[in-house]
Amino acid sequence: MIKVEKLIKRYGANTVLNGIDLSIEKGEIIVVIGPSGTGKSTLLRCINFLECADSGRITLGGLSVDAARASKRDILTLRRQTAFVFQNYALFANKNALANVAERLIIVDGWPKARAHARAREILERIGLADKADAYPAALSGGQQQRVGIGRAMAANAELILFDEPTSALDPEWVDEVLGLMKALAAERQTMLVVTHEMQFARDVADRVIFMDGGRIVEQGPPDKLFTDPQDERTRAFLRKVLAQQPSLAP
Amino acid sequence: MNIRTMLAVFTLGATTLLGAPLAQADTLRVGMSGNYFPFTFVKQDKLQGFEVDVMNAIGEQTGDDVEFVTAQFSGLAGMLDTGRIDTIANQITITPERQAKYVFTQPYVYDGAQVVVKKGNDTIHGVEDLKGKTVAVNLGSNYEQLLEALPYADQINIKTYESNVEQDVALGRADAFVMDRVSATQVIKKTPLPLQLAGAPFSHIENALPFRDNDAGHAQRDRVDQALTTLRENGTLAKISEKWFGSDITQP
Amino acid sequence: MNGLDYDYMMGLAPILLKYLPLTLEMAAAGMLCALVLASLLAIIRVLRIPVLNGATLLFISFFRGTPLLVQLFLFYYGLPQVLAILTQVNGITATILGLTLHFSAYMAESIRAAIVGIDRSQTEAALSIGMTNAQLMRRIILPQATRVAVPTLMNYFIDMIKSTSLAFTLGVTELMGATQKEASGSFLYFEAFLVVAIIYWVVVETLSLLQRWLEKRLNKAFVR
Repeated sequence: MIKVEKLIKRYGANTVLNGIDLSIEKGEIIVVIGPSGTGKSTLLRCINFLECADSGRITLGGLSVDAARASKRDILTLRRQTAFVFQNYALFANKNALANVAERLIIVDGWPKARAHARAREILERIGLADKADAYPAALSGGQQQRVGIGRAMAANAELILFDEPTSALDPEWVDEVLGLMKALAAERQTMLVVTHEMQFARDVADRVIFMDGGRIVEQGPPDKLFTDPQDERTRAFLRKVLAQQPSLAP
Repeated sequence: MNIRTMLAVFTLGATTLLGAPLAQADTLRVGMSGNYFPFTFVKQDKLQGFEVDVMNAIGEQTGDDVEFVTAQFSGLAGMLDTGRIDTIANQITITPERQAKYVFTQPYVYDGAQVVVKKGNDTIHGVEDLKGKTVAVNLGSNYEQLLEALPYADQINIKTYESNVEQDVALGRADAFVMDRVSATQVIKKTPLPLQLAGAPFSHIENALPFRDNDAGHAQRDRVDQALTTLRENGTLAKISEKWFGSDITQP
Repeated sequence: MNGLDYDYMMGLAPILLKYLPLTLEMAAAGMLCALVLASLLAIIRVLRIPVLNGATLLFISFFRGTPLLVQLFLFYYGLPQVLAILTQVNGITATILGLTLHFSAYMAESIRAAIVGIDRSQTEAALSIGMTNAQLMRRIILPQATRVAVPTLMNYFIDMIKSTSLAFTLGVTELMGATQKEASGSFLYFEAFLVVAIIYWVVVETLSLLQRWLEKRLNKAFVR
């Protein structure tokens, strides 16, 4: 249902994405891992058109566009079928938690305010922040802010939610509550593309793990296979390194 | 935001603001500063003075409605040039430069330029003592040119003011100011400022009403000039002058 | 030095106060127009809209680089010689126009700085949920930029109120013009200018109170 073909993105002489091909089935949960600076975040940002790819094709919900020449209108259409969870939460500072979640429903989907707020309250209930509806971002902890960020993505009722290292800016004490929420979403078979360094999460939740290096997909497969029997030397090296830091995961 | 809508709103606004009506032909719009005692000044919110009385008398003769427009003196010439007023009644002295640009009525004030100093000043006895002194004049007035024309002009520090020259000399910020003898005398007589005349007037001055040098300006000038002749002959000018100055300054 | 003439001052105050509404109206109209224009200029600058961006830079440079009085004279006395229709622009309109152009140049830079100062990630967040640029500006950026810019903008408004005193050079008798004329009639300069200073002062202090209240209100979302 979501297809990325031959995606290339350069910053000057530096090729960050070097021909990415990826297709995602509905309800699939994909985790992207790899060393820093290998284009994982850039891939997510190109799918959401926060960055414009230099070439390639993106197909989503029956609309297929040349990523380098997408019209404003196509970009809006594609964006409205995806949602993005940011590393630094990126909540709207001038809006309280409820309004952050409801904003898209009101402005983009044109819902009446009352209906949007009712829906936003349901979402806050689900993410365990019903009592924080009136709180502004500045008054929320990092974990709470990120949960609101995920709530905002949930409100979009998106085909695909893109998670860009959602826990790496969090103090360790808040990581579990955010991962817990993501697991709950995964259990409902919300289609997700997650960039993270949380290997345990990848192992427990992902249907497929993708290892990226040097702007390419080096290897991909079910977590059991990728973590226990990596084929490529680069994958093995990477896993050795990270699993040394997260020993409980060692095969 | 829709830029087209914004533009439309702006254009609409501008058109509305531009729609101020032009004065009718039989209205004489007279510019004056309103801060030149006793020719034109305000007391208790009422514009009055010699010029006001003269212009009202002219209006009675010509049948024109006289509309007074007050503005900072330095802006008056611009208002006349751009047709926002028809003439200036603010002791405008006839000079060759102004004659090249405007058409004047006959003079209705004969006067001289006067040096005025702070009371008790015994170093300045006339224009010849202004060497090395600071002298205040009103911006846009012709007294600056009179001073500049003196052979020792480069030794005089000329300060130009929008208004309040009298105050600055009284305060000692300037050593002297130059204005016409008539108003200088009035200022000394009618106000508490410690000032005195220094010597005799040093230049002959004739004041008249300037009009724009075009057909409409000429027509207005002729009408007003005729009225001035009448007012001179029937003694009205002399009467107004007596009222404000206690003497007749309207005769050569 | 003689004592102050209190009776004169008490009598003068109500006369001068009659001219206060005109002063405030010109400043308010100028502020309103300047806010709209400045926001537009700021948005052009932030989005770097081609051609318009260059024109905006030139506009800002000119109106910041020349005195307000020069600009007023240019519009009121200069331009009508080139374009006769402009003679019909009256002094009040010319003053409002001058204040608008002059202050919008300054305000555009404050607003731009306020916009640029907002964390870029909020822009991305708004775009990621499918907002258009206009929605982004209206719902997210401008409300926050307003909060940052309000103190500066209020200062410009106060400055603008004081700048209306230049209108007398365009034949508009406002508060300061009325005072100058009254002072020249009485020669009680100290009393007259003291009265007008107090009037300006009270007005500005009242606005400062309003400013503090407004800032508190706008900061509501940002208190921990």
